[in-house]
Amino acid sequence: MSEQKMPMIGIPRAMLYYRYGPLWERFFQVLGVSTLLSPPSSRGILEAGARLAPDESCLSLKMLMGHVETLIGRCNCIFIPRYSNYGYTELFCTRYEGIYDQARNIFRSSGQRFITCNIDAQNGFPEAKAFEQFGVELGFTAKESRRAWREASRALEQRKKAEDRSQKELAGKPGIKVLAAGHSYILSDPYLGKPILDNLDAAGVVTLRADALEPETARKACARFSPTCRWIVSEEIVGGVLLWKEKADGIILVSAFPCGPDSMTNELLIRRIRGVPILTLVLDAQSGMAGIETRIESFLDIIRFQKGAMV
Amino acid sequence: MKQHRKVALPRYGEYNCALKYIVEQGFETECILPPPLSRRTEDLGARNSPDLVCTPFKTTLGSMIEALEAGADTIIMVHGACRLNYFGELQEQILRDLGYHFDFINLSLFNTGKKRDILRALRAINPRRSMIRAGRSLYEAARMVEHLDDTTSFYYQNCGFDPTGQYRKIYWRFISDMYAAQSLPDIQEGYRNAVRAFEDVALSKPPDPIRIGIIGDYYTVMDPFSNLEIEQKLADMGVEVHRLMNITNDMLRNSNKNKQAKIREFSEFSMGASSTTDIWQAQNFAERNFDGLIQVKSACCMPETDIMPVLANLSQDYKIPVLYLTYDSQTSDVGLMTRLEAFYDMVEMRRKVTL
Ligand code: SF4
Repeated sequence: MSEQKMPMIGIPRAMLYYRYGPLWERFFQVLGVSTLLSPPSSRGILEAGARLAPDESCLSLKMLMGHVETLIGRCNCIFIPRYSNYGYTELFCTRYEGIYDQARNIFRSSGQRFITCNIDAQNGFPEAKAFEQFGVELGFTAKESRRAWREASRALEQRKKAEDRSQKELAGKPGIKVLAAGHSYILSDPYLGKPILDNLDAAGVVTLRADALEPETARKACARFSPTCRWIVSEEIVGGVLLWKEKADGIILVSAFPCGPDSMTNELLIRRIRGVPILTLVLDAQSGMAGIETRIESFLDIIRFQKGAMV
Repeated sequence: MKQHRKVALPRYGEYNCALKYIVEQGFETECILPPPLSRRTEDLGARNSPDLVCTPFKTTLGSMIEALEAGADTIIMVHGACRLNYFGELQEQILRDLGYHFDFINLSLFNTGKKRDILRALRAINPRRSMIRAGRSLYEAARMVEHLDDTTSFYYQNCGFDPTGQYRKIYWRFISDMYAAQSLPDIQEGYRNAVRAFEDVALSKPPDPIRIGIIGDYYTVMDPFSNLEIEQKLADMGVEVHRLMNITNDMLRNSNKNKQAKIREFSEFSMGASSTTDIWQAQNFAERNFDGLIQVKSACCMPETDIMPVLANLSQDYKIPVLYLTYDSQTSDVGLMTRLEAFYDMVEMRRKVTL
């Protein structure tokens, strides 16, 4: 493929894509920038990522690097935004801060170009301004970039609202309900979280998701419960757990090995939440679904038993 | 509010001398020093912590338990980058679940970016004391930290070449002077005594000794117990050990405002917590033709793991060997010694080849 024919921007379908995907895609679309999305996750992609990333990285980072690899040489530049913070006490996992530079280093010898959008409100780049600047770097005017950003953030908002709505519908359904809590890039990933959700589906259980909730509402709930938790994404998950737990017969905490924020917030949840059974699943690059199915099964047995005992 | 508190902070290298100074001199409050870190501290911490949290969380939790056992009734926990912001809240919960009764002052709660919250934090420690006095003690403790860091750097750069064993004695006397200091003159005198005593020892140092630079996460690299005294071990092999990573360089002097610009080829933006400082220091050691680099990091430390690909490239570009060490509660003295000896042999061999 010649330089001209290649899509302009490659987007890894991993990590923050599951959170901000609609926003990024709409942004590029409005500006008329061609994009290439990496294929859905697979064992092969994860294995490649595990080979490339440092051993002790979290599963999500390994998956991300696997996706980056599929894009090498197939687009002009690979887009890895850097989400650092939305303000002094509104932070992200430190890993999001480093992924752009980490990818540049891991793939240095490939000669692949990388591009980032630096969201760092503490240093003068809140999201809107960061995307404006990013658009300008791509060669558009500030005005065009601002317009694209406005439309893009609306697209994200709409998706959030839709998720929130469908969640409420689910919550009204009869039958056993399980609340799945974890990063959306774990739960929604076809190779990582999807098999777990499918498993619950097959067992005839209604699965609610802690990450499908209006972010502001969720974060407020978390602030009361755990005032020094400042990772925005974790706050949303914790808040989601708090707000949905009354509706759920059981909670499954799904996390990536060895996730920094989860190692702490999940511990706090386990210690502070009473009256609902909790199952913790930690996914890693080696073990896959082995053993997880049986653990889910016996967890559901416990729930059924408790429900039965109550009737 | 209690009339008479017994305050403790978990152990952190020898920095507790400065923390003790602030509590005692600045707030006129009794300070309980937890026992020195030991295997027991580590076990207590590990047993009661979540598995996948980084080692400093476990060690500081263990130290809090030992402080409570030693009679403390108030624990102060600091905040900082990365997960450290969240240490306090979870540690308090764990200690309460263990059944301890105590007051917990979690400075992270006051770390909101607003000045008045800093004042609220100071009042929480002792509401009746003057802020001027507290402020002065902070200033004086900062001088103590500078002296401590300068002395420590000097010590590890030279103690490997002291045939008399005097250096070690002088260093530890200095440390105990700092713990005993009650005023700025005490601090200064302790420091001057150490400097003078060091000068009196004749070193047998070759003109071009093997030099190794150490980098790593804020806790493990600065805490000799946690890193199994890596600096002393290397020095004892006859290495000039350099560590720029300390509180003075990173927080008090901050003499290098443009670190990120200098390393932009490797890292355009901060990769979190210690990353920028570490990469800059690694580059600095490499540019000064050091013989080797060692990265000291706690298991599960995110930023230190994330910079490994950067260090690998830096190592390639500057042709400087890097030894990556990950510490958890399983890491043994013997295992560490073997790896250090192998690294030393390799570094020494490279010298012979390039000469
Ligand atoms: S939040 Fe956890 S899983 Fe996500 S990037 Fe950070 S460490 Fe990895």
